[in-house]
Order: sequence, then C-alpha cells, then structure tokens
Amino acid sequence: MSSPATAARAGAELGRSTGSVATAGERPRTPGRVAARVRKTVLYCEDVLTESGAGPARPAQRAVVAAVIENPWLGTGPSTDLAPEVEVIAPVLAKALTDRLIEALGGIDAVEAFGKAAIVGTAGEIEHGGALIHTPWFGNLMRDFLQGESIICFADMRGDAGETLVVPMWHKTAAATRSHYQTISARVSDAPRAGEIVVLAAASTGPRPHARIGDRTTDPTVSAENLERDPSW
Amino acid sequence: MVVRKIVTVVEEIHLEGGRQVTPAARVVVVAAIVRNPWAGQGFVDDLGPGIDANASDLGELLAPLVLDALGAPAEAYGKAAVVGLDGEVEHGSALIHTLKFGDHFRKAAGATTLLPAVEKRGPAGVVFDIPLKHITDATLRSHHQTVEVRIADAPHPDELIIALAAAAQGRPQQRLAPLSSEQ
Repeated sequence: MSSPATAARAGAELGRSTGSVATAGERPRTPGRVAARVRKTVLYCEDVLTESGAGPARPAQRAVVAAVIENPWLGTGPSTDLAPEVEVIAPVLAKALTDRLIEALGGIDAVEAFGKAAIVGTAGEIEHGGALIHTPWFGNLMRDFLQGESIICFADMRGDAGETLVVPMWHKTAAATRSHYQTISARVSDAPRAGEIVVLAAASTGPRPHARIGDRTTDPTVSAENLERDPSW
Repeated sequence: MVVRKIVTVVEEIHLEGGRQVTPAARVVVVAAIVRNPWAGQGFVDDLGPGIDANASDLGELLAPLVLDALGAPAEAYGKAAVVGLDGEVEHGSALIHTLKFGDHFRKAAGATTLLPAVEKRGPAGVVFDIPLKHITDATLRSHHQTVEVRIADAPHPDELIIALAAAAQGRPQQRLAPLSSEQ
C-alpha cells in the first residue's frame, strides 16, 4: 500500500501542471473561451483483502481519480463547436488522470482494466462531458498512456454535487475478457457545482475477486433459437 | 481480525474561493472495512477482550498507511467508526476510543492531542464526515476541518468501517483570527 503516497506526491505535481489548463495548449485560442482550471482532484483506491470470507486468488487494486474543472462552455448554445476547447483541455486531463492511476496502481504494466466517466453540472449539457471523454483527445491518449488496445468503456451523467456515478471497467487489451468486467463507485462530495464538470478515469490491476462465470471460450452455445427448441423452457 | 478491504482517499484542493491554493491542500483518509468482532453474539457486557484483540492491531495497520498516503507531515488529524446496521455504536466506539488505537497514529505523527472522531451507525454507502483538528493544539482554529467519505458497499450489517484522516495543512484560504484574539 505504498502506492497512494506516491500518488499523492504525483498529485501535487499534477496540480501545478494543470492549475491552469489553458496554458497547456500550443494553438492560438479564442480569448476567454479556454479556461478550465482544476479546482480539486480526488483519488479513491481500494484493495480487497477478503471477499465472501476468502482472499482473492489474484488480489486486485482498483482506483478512480476525479478532476473537477470549470465547464468551459457555460452559456454557449447547442450550435457551439466544442472542438477548440476539447483539443486543449482533454489531452491535459488524460495525461494528469492516467499519471495518477499509474502511480496509485504501481505502474502501467500493473493496469489490466480501465474505464472513464464524466459528471456534468446542471448548468451544462451532457454533450460537454462527452466532448471531454469521448473524443480522441481524451480516449486515444488515455488508451496510449495505459498501453491499452480496447475501446474504453464509460459512464456519463448530469447531476448535482455529491452524486455517485458507477464507472465500468473492462480489460485494456481484450475487452471481452469476462473476469475483468467490474465497476468502481466515484463521488466527489462538493462537485460538480452547476458550472463544473467532473472528469474521471478508473483502472484495476486484475479481475473481480472470485471471478468464476466462465468466458466466451468455455460458454455453451446459448441462443434464443436453442431455447425455443428446449421443451423444459 | 478479518479485514475485507482497505480504502484510500486522497483529496487535493487547488482552488478555493476562486483563488489558487499553493501548494494544493491535501487531506487523506484510509479506512479498513472489518468484521464486527462482536457480530452475532447478542449483547456483550464486557467489550474489553474484543478491544484488546483488535484495537491496537487496527491502529497499527492504519497509522502508517494514512501518513504514507499523505506524503507530508500531518498537521491535523481525525478518526471514524461507522458501524453496520446489526451492531451497536458502542462497538465502533470501543475500537477507536482507546489509547490502544489512537496512540499508533499519535506516535507516528508526533501528535499530542486527542483525535476528534465521528461514530455512527448506517447502511452500506452511508456518507460520513470525519472531523480533523491540529495534532498538537486542538484550539488552533485554522486547522478545524472536515473530510467527507462514502464507501459504496460498506459497512455490511456485520461490519465496521474504522478510518483515520490526516491533513497536511489547515483549511485552504483559512483566515480566521486566532482564538486568543477574541474576548
């Protein structure tokens, strides 16, 4: 459990580098439109030592990290192009959030499953959260930074401060690996405010504690057609 | 002592009141989710043996973890016991309101004051606030603060959440006059 400490130290650096995300972009931006500062970050880690009375065959650590930022599109209408802000803000968030996950979980190689999420404050559109996590400026980079190949599974919602969002995760290189289907609950007590967005990245170092529901390679053939032929059904 | 899981929360505040906080204000919580040692025993008159068997071990487990997660000297600290619905609040209090538990943290942090605490009973996913005060001067107003915690699947009815919290500083943007300046 030394990892949270290194994560904490990494977080301090994160704060310095992302205190003003606007300065990270290289392209010229419309003045006053790209200002998404990180108000706070929250790292939540859990280590399952026993589950249902027994230690997991492969102990895993799960973590989710949240960054609370100002919604850069407040007061803009639905015809507004979101790309200019996305290109500046999303890469910095992808880097900062994955750095903290890597620190917390003990390295890139330790990360086996991943997921992403956004909670948009009530003055924003769900599209604003999607813009920050569903574009290559976040997703491709998060995948690269964690050395994954899978599409990253996600959750997004609009909600008030303190809302809990369950973030799904699956295997980073083989999404259909059933043992790695898992979730982690994320919540920031005082965010998002109406004008904020909470952007989240999650990862796990292994499977569910006692994964034992088989896989595609071991499944029998189950189909609606087969069921209809079965007189006992 | 059966520990089901250990949860670590690291909060860093970079902006408060619209102003930068430098360095970021850091507060951490480490919680152990354990089986209530008195679960299923009905009303137990003497909690002493259970305290002796568990309180010191819990303090010894959590104190280094919370300081390690903080990654800086602790200036404020606090503790919590959240009892699952089938237990008594007294069970949580038994394990945290003893020097056997708190002295591990006090010693590791170089602290001298009593640890402020929350003890309550609730369902899995209950939200609880841990109060923190300065580690050597509980009257130091700048360091009175609170951190909020929620663990989605704990405590089960027969479990306890036992937690320690530490802060590397007082409140962000703290600017109240010292207590001594008031009449």
